[in-house]
Amino acid sequence: MTNRSRLWQEYLANGKAEGCPVISAHAHYGPYMGIYFPERGEANSMLKMMDRAGIVRAVCAPHAGLIEPDRGHALMAEVIEKYPGRFSGYWCINPNYPEKLAASLQRFSEARGFVGFKFLADYHLQPITGPGYAPALAYANEHRLPVLMHTWGYSRFDGPALWSELAEKYPRATLIMGHSGYGEWDLALAVAKKYDNVYLELCAAYHANGIIERMVKEVGSQKVLYGEDLPWFDPEYSIGCVLCAHIGEDDRHNILHRNAERIFGFAG
Amino acid sequence: MKFFDCNSSYGILDVPPVQYAATPADLLAEMDFCAVDEALVTCAAQRCDSPLVGNELVLEQTRAQPRLHPAWVLLPPQTEEQAPTVDQFLADMGRAGVKALWAFPARNKYLLNATTLGPVFEELIEHSIPLFFPLEEAVPNMGGHPTYHLGWQMVDTLLSQFPRLTFVVANPMVWGQDRYFRPLIERYPHLYLDIGAYEQGRGLEDFCRKYGAERLLFGTHYPEIPMGGPVLNVLHADISEADREMIGAGNLTRLLQEVKL
Repeated sequence: MTNRSRLWQEYLANGKAEGCPVISAHAHYGPYMGIYFPERGEANSMLKMMDRAGIVRAVCAPHAGLIEPDRGHALMAEVIEKYPGRFSGYWCINPNYPEKLAASLQRFSEARGFVGFKFLADYHLQPITGPGYAPALAYANEHRLPVLMHTWGYSRFDGPALWSELAEKYPRATLIMGHSGYGEWDLALAVAKKYDNVYLELCAAYHANGIIERMVKEVGSQKVLYGEDLPWFDPEYSIGCVLCAHIGEDDRHNILHRNAERIFGFAG
Repeated sequence: MKFFDCNSSYGILDVPPVQYAATPADLLAEMDFCAVDEALVTCAAQRCDSPLVGNELVLEQTRAQPRLHPAWVLLPPQTEEQAPTVDQFLADMGRAGVKALWAFPARNKYLLNATTLGPVFEELIEHSIPLFFPLEEAVPNMGGHPTYHLGWQMVDTLLSQFPRLTFVVANPMVWGQDRYFRPLIERYPHLYLDIGAYEQGRGLEDFCRKYGAERLLFGTHYPEIPMGGPVLNVLHADISEADREMIGAGNLTRLLQEVKL
């Protein structure tokens, strides 16, 4: 075997590695309509996978919250409380109920354990540049918060073509391109390279053989976050994709934990 | 732990993935990098140029590589492009040492059904030859939403007519396919799944607990998917060592050993 990465060797042997406390920046929680979860996607099932793969913390947008934010946030808050330090939450924004948004942002400001916002524009059918998301983006900009957005290549709701406008309008928000604009790689990487506040996130993107190498080479590993849609997918798989990418060991550490520690304030 | 990849490829594709193996040597180098021991392989020319050209090339290019086992791509017998008769085609396979076939009905423009391939399927059953079928060949991408149900319907229809056909559904598993394939697994004992993209959380554990490991084949779908993901996924699933070894290499080895040519 020619992959001399110490992390790869440790993962081969143990399924995790000392000194590599992985953080998932793109996770969910609970059952969902479009997939069978053997253990309902509950926290104990997620923890089994996290413990086995060396994931110390997952930042989760509860599935229920993507539809009905209040109900989802309440469920997520219970999990955050029950397992201290293992889960953080994204506060979900459903732009189709604009009359509820101001109160929701107020509740976010008082909630514990939620570290940023999550948008799912392809499902909510509103563009990330539209008025439905503007109040949350303005709030994130004011408070320097991370915002994870589902993105997909060529989408008119959240594709990379919309991101320059966002990056320039909200320069103090940390804008995380979930799935890295899957498939529209050239533009996604160019935007992430150009704007300091735009980050790439690997969920699903890690499937595209060679894209991690391109991200590191063209944008830099300090702009790439690890995520895998837990509990949808087993983290050993996605971590394996990172560890077998032809990149340096420091790059692997940046992607798997250092960047998330810095962005979410988890360091130490 | 041995890994025998049921689904990898090398060569120059019409639309290349970001990274790929241009030659068998490049593929072997990546296998070495990712701890994969052997592979059942096709070359890009079989998919993107022509099976008539590619089937010859894959033999020639892997002849000196004992870790690479060539598979052929099947065409309908009516056009007599591959051989004047099915018997002749199977004899050619035997002489070439080829023990597995792939079907690309969309790329090669034919119907994967009894009308087109009924007599061929009967021969494949008789000789225990596995047929690999990439699900995306039956899955039109409708505005970014793949219509997976069409592919599984095709599998169901086919195996209802040829239940003894050893049939491997390749590349099927992204975004939660269990509700599609579990009824078919329960009904068709010769249906196998290439798990190269099956990263379902706790999925291997749940499948093995309910159905056993006999129907799962380790695959990578390389070069589209990096090999390291499927390797770690199988290596650290909470399943028995016996199940792990069956998935990693044992099941594919058995299927190829059962071929009678």
